[in-house]
Amino acid sequence: MNLENRSPQFALELKEISKVYPGPPVVQALSDVSMSVTHGELLGIIGSSGSGKTTLLHIMGTLSIPSSGSMFIDGRNVVGMSDKQLSGVRSQQIGFVFQEFFLLPGFSALENVANGLLYSGIPSDERMERAFEMLGRVGLGHRGNHLPNELSGGEQQRVAVARALVHNPSFVLADEPTGNLDSENTASLMELFSTLNEEGTTVILITHDLEVAKSAQRKITLRDGRVDSDLSR
Amino acid sequence: MNDSTGNKFTDLHSKMGLRDTFSVGSSGLRTRRVRAALSVVGITIGIAALVGILGLSQSGSADLLKDLDALGTNLLTVQAGDGFRSQQASLSSDATAMIDRIGPVYEVSATTKIAGGVFLNDLIQDGRTKGITIVAADLNLLRAQRGSLKSGKFLDEMTSQFPFVVLGSVAAERLGIRNTSGKQKIWLKKKWFMVIGIMEPLPLAADLDRSAIVGYPAAGKFLEFEEPPEIIYVRAYPEHIHDVRSVMPATVNPENPEEVQVGRASDVLEARIAASDTFLNLFVGLGAVALLVGTIGIANVMVIAVIERRNEIGLRRALGATKFHIASQFLTESLLLSVLGGITGVVVGISVTAIYAISRDWSIVIPVYVIAGGILSSILIGGIAGFYPAMRAANMSPTEALRTK
Ligand SMILES: Nc1ncnc2c1ncn2[C@@H]1O[C@H](COP(=O)(O)OP(=O)(O)OP(=O)(O)O)[C@@H](O)[C@H]1O
Ligand SMILES: [Mg+2]
Repeated sequence: MNLENRSPQFALELKEISKVYPGPPVVQALSDVSMSVTHGELLGIIGSSGSGKTTLLHIMGTLSIPSSGSMFIDGRNVVGMSDKQLSGVRSQQIGFVFQEFFLLPGFSALENVANGLLYSGIPSDERMERAFEMLGRVGLGHRGNHLPNELSGGEQQRVAVARALVHNPSFVLADEPTGNLDSENTASLMELFSTLNEEGTTVILITHDLEVAKSAQRKITLRDGRVDSDLSR
Repeated sequence: MNDSTGNKFTDLHSKMGLRDTFSVGSSGLRTRRVRAALSVVGITIGIAALVGILGLSQSGSADLLKDLDALGTNLLTVQAGDGFRSQQASLSSDATAMIDRIGPVYEVSATTKIAGGVFLNDLIQDGRTKGITIVAADLNLLRAQRGSLKSGKFLDEMTSQFPFVVLGSVAAERLGIRNTSGKQKIWLKKKWFMVIGIMEPLPLAADLDRSAIVGYPAAGKFLEFEEPPEIIYVRAYPEHIHDVRSVMPATVNPENPEEVQVGRASDVLEARIAASDTFLNLFVGLGAVALLVGTIGIANVMVIAVIERRNEIGLRRALGATKFHIASQFLTESLLLSVLGGITGVVVGISVTAIYAISRDWSIVIPVYVIAGGILSSILIGGIAGFYPAMRAANMSPTEALRTK
């Protein structure tokens, strides 16, 4: 959404990103990874276990600092920013969906979604309003008062998706979002991602499951920390 | 978000207001109520002990100090000490008159114990005297003691000549006597005496509370008793009390001044205040230990919370929380815990003080500084206990925090 307002060409741009875990043993998790993600894309990043997918997602999400290379979010270089500035970037421009959902147990579905806006400086009642609206968009408008443990796994992950989108980020990062779901819930979650993507959300989907990656228009394959292939449908 | 014009990220700040910090900080407690309650028990006990003991000692010594003020510190007691020569040293019968001649002395009142039992009637004499002593006294005894009467009158010129008796507060209680209208007789050394007065407690001469007081003339006429004074109570002007005290022995017994014992009646009260201070220090120490244990308890619970809620920390960092936000959350949680414990402790401490003071007929004194101190120290404790866990949470790497087993 609001594509016309985003002046930079790319939502996310990586230039020769490397990541070395100092160890011991020293692990070169990523080597010279470069890619550009256009606004409105649904990008699948696939690779076998240990190929560096999670490492890449953490770097894209500014949760981890690359050892070298540069990275631009909406055209702005984020490498070299302070921890506090990076927190600001996350609070405004990035949405996360995790394999384990990570909903806070004591909070209702609605409050969990509103937590996506908690650190953005938006007043509480507006957070609730936007969370309610977002919960409707993922088809759970009627379950707002339920606690996470009263929801199915599929529903919990939808709540998490709503939380990742409620602050209207530049892109959403999803790391194996279907990893804890059965095939039926997997299909419906992928459908949700496709719908949201059609509505304008930029989605970067990380998975080792080729079936899941099918809905992505573009697939990047990682192998041993390098981009092995970059295919558009 | 939509005006990404590259103007140095001024629009990209994580922000969280105080209200949200408070609500996030309390969320950890709301979802773990039992643990929260248990973890503050130490603080509650410590603060309650401190508030209670400070309140009680204040209430207790407030009354003692008030007593001391009302009763004065210028009452001397003069009595015969253990002499070298005579086994049974006694004061001479003109001691009262000699003391009266000392300039700064303005009140002299003699008393003498009389052997004999005190009973409610002549039928029940089981040999037990109920610990009540018969005492012959001068008419100004009550004035010298700055005492007062619960009911009736004290002995006067007339009643001291006849079988009339005034009871000390404890003596009256033990005999079960309240009536001073002239109808209540008691069987005193095998003679009937009429009760004409009951005294309030005399803090400066607690022995007299357990006595039945008759006049010297009546003692002579009806109890065949002619002994010299045993204890003489002396009031002197406060500024000269030391001089009076030092000349007293030689005045009373010029030949053997060392056989005269002079004491200050108020010393007993002062000793009680000092004793209650010692007691106080002991309990303040115990309270402090409880607080220390409580602090460690909260710190421990917070460290566990940080470890358990690693994923929550990672999630919050992913949602845009800064290190400061994470630290604030856990520090708030720790502060809420300890302040909750502190407030409970203050309430418990005040209640205990109030109940105890009421049961002892003390006035309830709970100084504001004790309440404020209780709350402030709980805030301090929350800060100390929460500091390390908060730092640990804040400095956790987001990727580390997001990892699941
Ligand atoms: N914190 C770390 N310290 C050291 N090595 C690490 C660390 N995190 C990951 N690695 C290593 O980096 C490599 C890439 O790990 P990463 O977690 O990115 O793989 P992945 O593609 O997400 O695998 P999976 O599909 O199993 O989740 C692996 O060899 C891993 O052992
Ligand atoms: Mg992974």
